[in-house]
Amino acid sequence: MRRHHHGLPWPRRDRDEQVACEFCDAVQPAPRLREGEGAYCGNCGELLYQNRPRSLSRATGFSIAALIFMLLAHSFPFLTMSAAGASTKLSLIRCARALSHDGDVLLSWLCIFFTIIAPLALVGSLLYMSAPLLYGRALPGALQIARWFQRSEPWAMLEVFLLGFIVSLLKLGHLAEIHFNIGLWSLVALVICIAGATAGIDRRELWDRLELAVDPAPKPEPVDRAG
Amino acid sequence: MKSEPVRFAADLGLASCHTCGKLSPVKSGHCPRCGSGLHLRKPDSLARTLAFLLGSIAFYIPAMSLPVMNVSGLGGGEQSTILSGVVTFWEMGSYPVAIIIFTASVLIPILKIAALAWLCLAATGRFSGTHKKMALTYHITELVGRWSMVDVFVVAILACLVRLGNLMTITPGPAALSFAAVVILTMLSAMSFDPRLLWDQRRATPTP
Repeated sequence: MRRHHHGLPWPRRDRDEQVACEFCDAVQPAPRLREGEGAYCGNCGELLYQNRPRSLSRATGFSIAALIFMLLAHSFPFLTMSAAGASTKLSLIRCARALSHDGDVLLSWLCIFFTIIAPLALVGSLLYMSAPLLYGRALPGALQIARWFQRSEPWAMLEVFLLGFIVSLLKLGHLAEIHFNIGLWSLVALVICIAGATAGIDRRELWDRLELAVDPAPKPEPVDRAG
Repeated sequence: MKSEPVRFAADLGLASCHTCGKLSPVKSGHCPRCGSGLHLRKPDSLARTLAFLLGSIAFYIPAMSLPVMNVSGLGGGEQSTILSGVVTFWEMGSYPVAIIIFTASVLIPILKIAALAWLCLAATGRFSGTHKKMALTYHITELVGRWSMVDVFVVAILACLVRLGNLMTITPGPAALSFAAVVILTMLSAMSFDPRLLWDQRRATPTP
């Protein structure tokens, strides 16, 4: 059974669109690509855009999974550490609370922003755009959300937090007894899902599809799926 | 002479949108697709990059010299800076930790600041290099920036975990916030740099 048409380029409003390289500003025609292909600048060789396979369903699927793992990662602690009769638990919110408790409120807000708000904005906005796009629709405010999505991307630092977690374990490992909890595995899965979701779809494809969905084309292109 | 002359968008009065990448005439002011403002180049790119860069250099000094965390326990308090932490772990024999912290907190910020300064110089024409190298430098600075936050997160995690009653507590020191500022400012600096300036410079100098 083939539910997916391999090699379909994404729909586009403008047939003979031109593109300027983001790196050297050279104008060139923007060919439509088969899945898995990439377009490179003819002048400087930079990647212009890619048609990534099954982009919309990948973005949707990974972001739904990411939201579920996010819920789990926030509801369960990452680890329990016990030493000398006392035990402490670690979670993102507890981290931020520990920071604000020790007087560094600004640092605590930064941690909340980088590890909780930005990843949520990233995944939530991607799901808000890509799920309706599967049916060729755009929900209200999709363009604004798309801008948020792009802006929040560099600030979501869960994978950096994960590296920090590993470093802290290497530091503390010999001091105390450590038990890993569900939260940690959810965090690992969340990082993988966020990477999969954001790498799944090219920005240009997202915008091209949004453009068509928000404002159905005045000069419609022949539908590729026909036949 | 040339078989296929390269046309540049700026010469044609076209601007590609910073947000969605659509190419449209710069005169229209706003991108017809996503509504962002259109500019031929990122506005005040060099000035902004330099300003953020100078800010990050200024914060780098307290970030390195002040204590990043305070460890207080039975035997009194102890403060450790980022560098003293690296040295401690090296002496303890935990080479991987020492190497990770040294790379993320010392090496990457310094290299990033140097790379951005180099790119700024290149964009004003005071320095030249092959564009392949500069493209690579730009991509690396963009990619690598966020990983320097590792040390801040380590302090946060330790502060959360190590509060074993009166035995031992870890609290963040003043350097933690300065270090976060360094990371954020270098990220902003890399974001406001417009790589097309490098090519503008290349085009301005006549090639023999």
